[in-house]
Amino acid sequence: MLRHVVDDLYQIGESVAGQDGWHEAVRIYVLLNDGCPLVFDAGSHVHSKQIMADLETLLDDVPPAYVFLTHTELPHTGNLSGILKRWPDTKLVVSSGILPHVEMPWWIDDAIISYGYAGTHEIYGGRPIAFLDGILKDQPGTHWMYDARTGTLFTADAFGYMLPESADTLFDDELEDGVPEEWLSRYHSSAFRFLPYVVHDKMMADFQKLYEKRDIRQIAPTHGNAIRGDIALIKTRFSDVMKELCR
Amino acid sequence: MKMKIYGHADSRVGVRQITPNIYWICHCIGHNAAHYNGGFAAEFAKQNPILDPKASDIIYNAFLFIDEQTFLIDTLGPNQHASMMEAVADLLDGRPLDYLWISHTELPHAANTAALKRAYPDLEILTVDGHDHYEVHGLGEARLLNYGDRISLGYHEIEIIKPLFVDHALTQWLYEHKTGFLCPVDWALNLHNETQCFHFMDEMEGKGYSAKRFTEEVATTNQTVFGWLRWTDPDETVQRIDAFFDDYDVKIFAPSHTNVIRQDMDVYRAALREAMYLAVTRAYELVH
Repeated sequence: MLRHVVDDLYQIGESVAGQDGWHEAVRIYVLLNDGCPLVFDAGSHVHSKQIMADLETLLDDVPPAYVFLTHTELPHTGNLSGILKRWPDTKLVVSSGILPHVEMPWWIDDAIISYGYAGTHEIYGGRPIAFLDGILKDQPGTHWMYDARTGTLFTADAFGYMLPESADTLFDDELEDGVPEEWLSRYHSSAFRFLPYVVHDKMMADFQKLYEKRDIRQIAPTHGNAIRGDIALIKTRFSDVMKELCR
Repeated sequence: MKMKIYGHADSRVGVRQITPNIYWICHCIGHNAAHYNGGFAAEFAKQNPILDPKASDIIYNAFLFIDEQTFLIDTLGPNQHASMMEAVADLLDGRPLDYLWISHTELPHAANTAALKRAYPDLEILTVDGHDHYEVHGLGEARLLNYGDRISLGYHEIEIIKPLFVDHALTQWLYEHKTGFLCPVDWALNLHNETQCFHFMDEMEGKGYSAKRFTEEVATTNQTVFGWLRWTDPDETVQRIDAFFDDYDVKIFAPSHTNVIRQDMDVYRAALREAMYLAVTRAYELVH
């Protein structure tokens, strides 16, 4: 599924159906970036065929210059072989917190890997991408990234949500009332099992610092569609859901 | 120190015997670890100047039970593939591998799952229940286990238990009742220098290590490993640790990223308790 989010930001990816009818999205994002495409995460090996077909359609013979990995779990890296076999000159950008010799496929040449350090930004094809800590994460070497040009925050697993099949292709502003709290709750309660030990106000203080520092106009989660409509609403609902799941 | 080593550097795997029927299969780099572990290990020393600046090596563990049934805990990472397969085959000595338990689905723990299944076609893969969409984690055919489920290997009685500290959602811990073996997966995480590779913790103590150093390392590393600790209540955290050790008589502490502790568990239990209190309460700034 290929969808245009906003400006030069596109979303690609499929979903997996759960036993109870709730679907889990597995998305990647692409900034076309004036002919120097930047891809965020590689997608799941389960969806490799569809992802590669959509990338071919979107990129129209322009190879992706960089793939930025939020972290190294399979839903985010399983399709790396598909991308690197098709476009062997593509470079990888990973968190400085990961260790390639235990977290990356053995066949990947170290020379194509560069690191993003939280608190810095680098220029990729003329475009600055900022690196920050993954605030809410399920793997230590997770980083979030921010594209100031579109105001997009790439949040890996955070801000994901389970969705019914009927909502699989819809952005928040195409739903009747945005992303419901129940959808956010279903995902976060499953993905972040430590939340019952967390004090809500302590956690949200970190999110508040993030909101004050970054002009977030889109949120791009791996396990949900991009949130591009009412960012204030999703922030409120996210906090309410965390209040329900935390202490 | 009796041991066997396979491969070198990023493919290096060492095997040590913990009990007559439990083996520790361990990857660490050895010489030039700072090159491979880069900023990750160095960051800890920057955070806490008490840490040994030469300790830049990190352990990745698997464990093999050889009983009437054979049972492997985790698989090590992609680059350890050949060494891991050879070590397991040598230890099994012609026997099949009956069970592979995946503690959680990160690559350093689960990368060689498919290769082991190919090598041992009757292998039963085990992982935690209560999630969904296992196929995207490469565990579509796994048998799902709940906390409290037990697997009898013959002499050894393995119980799947609820973890105290988790990162990935598909995480569970494991306790073996006859030996008091606990695999608490990512909890703890210490560093070591080049002279301390493949050492049990009691052997580390002869090479400049101590429970005090362990406390400082765990306090520092676990702030990163479990980034959510900063949002918890410190007193409640140590109460949970105390309750856990009251429930489980741990004699062998065998995490995924820690030198195995087989002696003085009371000393290290106190160290873990103090470390986790510090991990919650010490300042640790995030980049927002």
